Amino acid sequence: MKKLLLSFLFAAFASLIGQRAYAQVIVIANPSVKTSTVSKAELSDVFTGNATTLKDGSRAVPILLKAGTAHEEFLQAYIGRSDSAYRAGWRSLVFSGQGAMPKSVESDAAVVDFVSHNAGAIGYIGKNTPHDGVKVLAVK
Amino acid sequence: MKRFLIAAMTMALGVTSASAQSLEDLNIQIHGYATQGFIYTTQNNILTTTSSSGSPSWTEAVINVGAQPIPKLRIAVQGRYFLLGNYGNAITLDWAAADYKANDKFGVRFGKVKTPAGLLNEVQDIDPSYLWALLPQSIYPISSRNSSLSHLGGVFYGTEKLGRKFGKLEYRGWGGERVLGSDDGYFLPFKEAGLGAPNGFSWVTYGGALHWLTPMSGLMVGISDIQNGKITSAVTAANGALAGATAVTWPSKPAYFARYDNGKYMVAGEFTTYAPKGAFLFPGARSPINIDQLETYGMASYKPTSKLTTGVYYSQVFDHGQPLGTTNRYQKDWAISGRYDFNEFIYAKAEQHFIDGTALSYDANLNPNLKPNTHMTILKIGVSF
Repeated sequence: MKKLLLSFLFAAFASLIGQRAYAQVIVIANPSVKTSTVSKAELSDVFTGNATTLKDGSRAVPILLKAGTAHEEFLQAYIGRSDSAYRAGWRSLVFSGQGAMPKSVESDAAVVDFVSHNAGAIGYIGKNTPHDGVKVLAVK
Repeated sequence: MKRFLIAAMTMALGVTSASAQSLEDLNIQIHGYATQGFIYTTQNNILTTTSSSGSPSWTEAVINVGAQPIPKLRIAVQGRYFLLGNYGNAITLDWAAADYKANDKFGVRFGKVKTPAGLLNEVQDIDPSYLWALLPQSIYPISSRNSSLSHLGGVFYGTEKLGRKFGKLEYRGWGGERVLGSDDGYFLPFKEAGLGAPNGFSWVTYGGALHWLTPMSGLMVGISDIQNGKITSAVTAANGALAGATAVTWPSKPAYFARYDNGKYMVAGEFTTYAPKGAFLFPGARSPINIDQLETYGMASYKPTSKLTTGVYYSQVFDHGQPLGTTNRYQKDWAISGRYDFNEFIYAKAEQHFIDGTALSYDANLNPNLKPNTHMTILKIGVSF
């Protein structure tokens, strides 16, 4: 019984550690973006189509992950919406002629590749993903 | 129709001129959605369907093609198939526009464009974007939505930051010509009364809207006003036997609205008035238009899980132009709604309405014995990409 309890506690601890690791999503930008910090409100505006520039005047082009933990965590932490609500918001803009859907890619590596090659690009990835050629933005 | 073709050709020209670039450079996107609805009512037949027997006669399909040849320029076109009872059953051009956004403070789009009035006018025909199966009919009647959805002309827009303490102000201004073809659902009640508008209606329209995004996160307060020019058009009576004209003045359609949305909870409300004045004129006869409506709704929704959204709204319209004591002087509608998103692409909606009054949504031919109230159940499934 004691072994079972210990196993349960270990599993719960491992799960907690895992969740803490998942929570570590980082925001990256093309080096052309002047600022090194963005506010949560700025991120929300850029990723919901309400703004195309950051406070310092840098052009901001958002790129999305199609799915996954980093995507869910980013939406939860910085946009405050579920994936379905977030995409419904973009569809409102697309179908009413007010905007074009941001590019979506399958993997963190694809986000890094796009951001590193496109001026003004901003994306998000898991903290442990290699991210050469991009800058990490601190979110205030 | 000619104007629509010109708008489409402008679009095509824009795309063709950029054909030297690769598709990747043009950032061409294709989106669309399709919905199928089922309506059942306990008493009356609603929205020109035979809903008291259960009606699946509600289908929409939309295709949207857009390109972004340079970062500040977007060009897009959207077409739609719409069928609701006896309305529609046709493919039409929703809009076709070029949009140039110089910066967040100023942008302009022109062509056939959505009219950015009120809280939901721009998205009232975009089913995937909201919870409800049927928007509050007091302000967004599905049968005559084409009378306010879009216009030929332009829109300018932008956002001005007011500082951390005062939030942001979004503005929109627009002008152009609104055109309703003679076969539009808007004219169905006219046809039932033996009246016709062989050339449809067209009129000058302009207006503006302000949305104050307050410092309180998620709270927006807004006002808009549509100004309309005089409508003068040929009309017929007695099913075409008598020729005449109409002269309608629809001076203003102000709207006041607010919304609070924190991602999990949403509360919104809107109030507007609609009071066109004028008459149908025939040799020796004058039939005045008596419409003087106060329209309002309040709605709230809650998202208990990432895939499920629930909500309720109350919608009411009072038409002071109708005789006292009659049920077509008002309509009150309580609606309870649920939406489930199975995944990114597929969703389903279920909605129950409790309708009192007969001011909206009923046609005489399908309701020879119109009852003062009815319950309505709507089921809808949608696919979007």
